[in-house]
Parts: sequence; structure tokens; C-alpha cells
Amino acid sequence: MNRSASGEKGVSWASKKALPWIIPLLLLLIWVVISELKLTTPYLFPHPLNIAESAYFYIFGNPVDGPYAGRFINDVSYSILRVSIGFGIAAFLGIPLGILSGRLKSFQLFISSTLNAIRAVPGICWLPLALVWFGIGIKTTVFLVALAAFFPIYINSASGARLINPLLYQSGAMMGVGKIRGIYAILLPAAMPQIITGLRLGLGIAWAYLVLGELTGVPDGLGAVIMDARMLGRIDIILVGVIIIAVLGRISDLSLKAVLRLCFKSARRTY
Amino acid sequence: MKEHDFRLISVKKKAHRDPLLRSVGLGKIFPMGNHFIKVLENINLSVNSGELVCILGPSGCGKTTLLKIVAGFIKPSSGRIETHGVPISGPGFERCIVFQEDALFPWLTVEENIAFGLKGRINKREIKKRVGKFLYLTGLEGFGRYLPSEISGGMKQRVALARVLVLDPKLLLMDEPFGSLDAQSREEMQSLLLSLWEELRHTIIFVTHDITEAAFLADRILVMDKYPGSIKLIVDVSLKRPRRKETNEFHHFYRYLRDRIGLNSSPSL
Repeated sequence: MNRSASGEKGVSWASKKALPWIIPLLLLLIWVVISELKLTTPYLFPHPLNIAESAYFYIFGNPVDGPYAGRFINDVSYSILRVSIGFGIAAFLGIPLGILSGRLKSFQLFISSTLNAIRAVPGICWLPLALVWFGIGIKTTVFLVALAAFFPIYINSASGARLINPLLYQSGAMMGVGKIRGIYAILLPAAMPQIITGLRLGLGIAWAYLVLGELTGVPDGLGAVIMDARMLGRIDIILVGVIIIAVLGRISDLSLKAVLRLCFKSARRTY
Repeated sequence: MKEHDFRLISVKKKAHRDPLLRSVGLGKIFPMGNHFIKVLENINLSVNSGELVCILGPSGCGKTTLLKIVAGFIKPSSGRIETHGVPISGPGFERCIVFQEDALFPWLTVEENIAFGLKGRINKREIKKRVGKFLYLTGLEGFGRYLPSEISGGMKQRVALARVLVLDPKLLLMDEPFGSLDAQSREEMQSLLLSLWEELRHTIIFVTHDITEAAFLADRILVMDKYPGSIKLIVDVSLKRPRRKETNEFHHFYRYLRDRIGLNSSPSL
């Protein structure tokens, strides 16, 4: 509540609404100008209007009309499903393990070298292995998404738990707070801002790895569409896919924040 | 720390003959690299029920360590410390600290911070009543729904005071609680503390490095020395209450105290 008064001094409501749109609109304008002046070949760099048309076709078209018509709902549902499962697994493991290693020195010593070694391996290196282990399909994608999203969630939860002001614990102890209540009434809310940061970073990476996983020959999903369009030379569809992923990534980030704020007092008040 | 304790403490509030708090030969050493530092040495003190005792000393004399031992956060290296003859074994709400810095829960409102220690001990309606009473007593009426980030430093220390007083502690421990406040808020808080003390008659150990503050508040002043931290001197404060800082009597006492501590009266100090 205080944030708007202290953190965003002198930013009026109008500029708050307008400022984020300036760069996207400017880019769009440049794009239109380049296309209108025919500075590039339309094949490599389609006109925005053609992209809009393809997007409309892809989202609202009738499947009998052409190769990409009306595939949107199907692709998006598969992609969202894969991201949700992968991200869910990452959060389910990352938050508890992170908090444990932030609070218990022995647990940190036990687990951190192993995890850091795994983290040092670029995510794409797991792709061949995952394909062999899980085959082409949802499991490979979910595995890659979960693996990639785990680390930011784990690391941020750990540092959030480690950096809790010890006075908060001492206050709790003198007010008769036991171990269990200490966890959900002091530890979690105090670490909440950093847990949220970890979840948001993890969700962003989840979308990136979703596309990687879907590039490997699955029939449905946004990554599959992009790969498919590349083979057929449909640059417009590739760009439509990219834009949809960007929009979905932003929406999922906003929804994540909204859900956390709805569920947790500490997220509402301190994040 | 069990459920029934809370009510027991509320009922048992008559004066005790034996001291509420007693320490004998208390010492504390901390390891520092490959040698040890003596932080406290041979602390013998006794505090009676209802007393307001100030511990006065320069920074680094171990005042905070002593207070944390009384609170049960730190174990002494030698000697004994007990309340009513029972050794202190850990923290508990019968010995509550008001910390020097802000230690409120930032995700809870003023009301929720004050109610925090009561949760699970008494029912919701009782909690609401008690919280309301202490909001009133500490001058926080109307601020119940604010977050700690939205109120001033002085207000925060009022909340810190209210959230422990609401638990009805036998012993209120205060670790330079007004040290970071501006002069005016500090005076207000000192008066507030005294009026609460007169109303609730709890026992207070108040740590400070401010001679005026000690002279204004205390029944008895324990003057500490450093390297190692030890009690150098105990001064009974004979000034009548209510005290006023601008009276000649107060000035006399202040000068007497400075002389006893060994500070000369040169204006540079």
C-alpha cells in the first residue's frame, strides 16, 4: 500500500498505463514502415497485416480450411498442460528443498554441491537423454520444464529462508510459538517475497523449455507449430507462435502473482 | 508454555518476598577465532517483583547479552540464573523482550501483531478484547489496521510494547527500546512506559546507555563496566515520582550519578 507513495514517486496514472506500450508500438511502427517500403523480402519478413491475418486464421479458422486453421485451442491446451505439470513439480520440490537448505546448514552441505553440478549442465544437454528415457511426447517436455524451473525456485527459496531476520524467530520463541507454527506463521511469510521471485523466474524459464521440449516432434503444442511452420517455410506462422508465447508468458506471470496475492496475506502485504 | 500457564500468571500477581529474578556468579564467554572473549563476569543481581531496574553502561559492556540470557535466548557459561528459584532454561512469554530494532512481523497489521502471542491460548473474542485494551493503553487506537511499514518508529515501538504486555509477562525486558527514536518520541515513550508500569505493576529490566533515561525511569540502577562486562555499582534512585527532568532535584541526582560512575562533569561529555 505504501509502495505507490514511496517507490513510484511522481508517476501519474496515465503514464503508468501508457509507458509500457511505447516500445512495442514503436517496434510495430518500424515494422510497418519497413514492410510498406518493401525493404525486405516478404517471405523472410512478412507484413504485420499478413501476420494478423495468419493469426486470425490460426486462432478462429475452421480446421478444414487449411493446414494451420483453428489449431490454436488444441495447441495452447497441450502447451499449458505441459507447463503446468512441469512447473508444478518444480515448485513442489523446489520450495521445500530450498527452505530446508536455507535453514539447515547440514542439509545445505548435503545437497548443494550435487544440485549445483546438475545446474551447471545446460538444459539442452538433457534433451537427447530425455528423448531416450521418455520418448517423444509429454513426458520429455515435462521433464525438461521441471528441471529448468526447479533451480530458480530452489535458490530463491533457500536465500529467502536463510536471510530471515533472527529477531523474528526470537520474538516468536518468546511469545510461545512452537516449531510447527513457527514454520507457517513466521518462516513462510517472512520468506514469501523471495519465494514469489523464484516462482516467477521459474515460470518464465518453464515457457522457454516448453518450446524446446515441443520442438522434438510432438504433434501438438506451440513449439510443435513453430517447428512445423519452419519446415514448410511459413514465417508468418512462426511469428504468430512467438507472439502467442510472449502473450501467454506475460498472462501466466500476472495470474501467478494474482493467485499468490489472493492466497497469502504476506504476498499481498509485503511483495 | 502450556495452555493453562497463561491464566495462572494472570491470577498470581501478589508481591513475592523472594526476588523474582536472581543471578549468582553469572558469566559468559564467547569463542572468537582461536581464543575466547569474556563478555560477562561474575554478575550477581536480584530483581524484586514490581521493580523497575535500569542497567546502565557503555556500548560493548554486555548489556544486551545479559538481557538475552535473562530472556533465555543465550545460555550462560558459568553461574546460575533463576526466576523464583527455578533455573531459566529457554525463552518464554513470562520473560518478554522489547528489542532495540524493529522486530514486528511486517506481513501482519498492528492488531494482528499484538494478537500474535495470544493465538491458540484464549478464544477469539477474548483476544479481540485484550488487543483492544492494549491498543488503547499504548495510544494506538485507530492504528490497528495499519501495517508496520506504514507507521513511524515511535509507533512501532508502541506496538512492540503492546504485543508483549498483552501476554502479561512477569518480567518485561527492554533492550534500549527508545534508542533509535527522536528526542520527542523518546520522552513520550518514557512517560508511556511509566504510566503503563503504574497501571500494570509488572517488573521491568530496562537496558540503556543514557544516564538521563536511567535516572528518570529507575528504582535502582545497575551500572556496568566493560572488558569484561561486570556490575560496577548499584545506585538506588531516591527521587520521588512523578519525576520531572527540569527540576533542580533531578539535576542534582544526575550529577551525583555521573560522579559515581566516574565521568567528570566536563561539557565535552
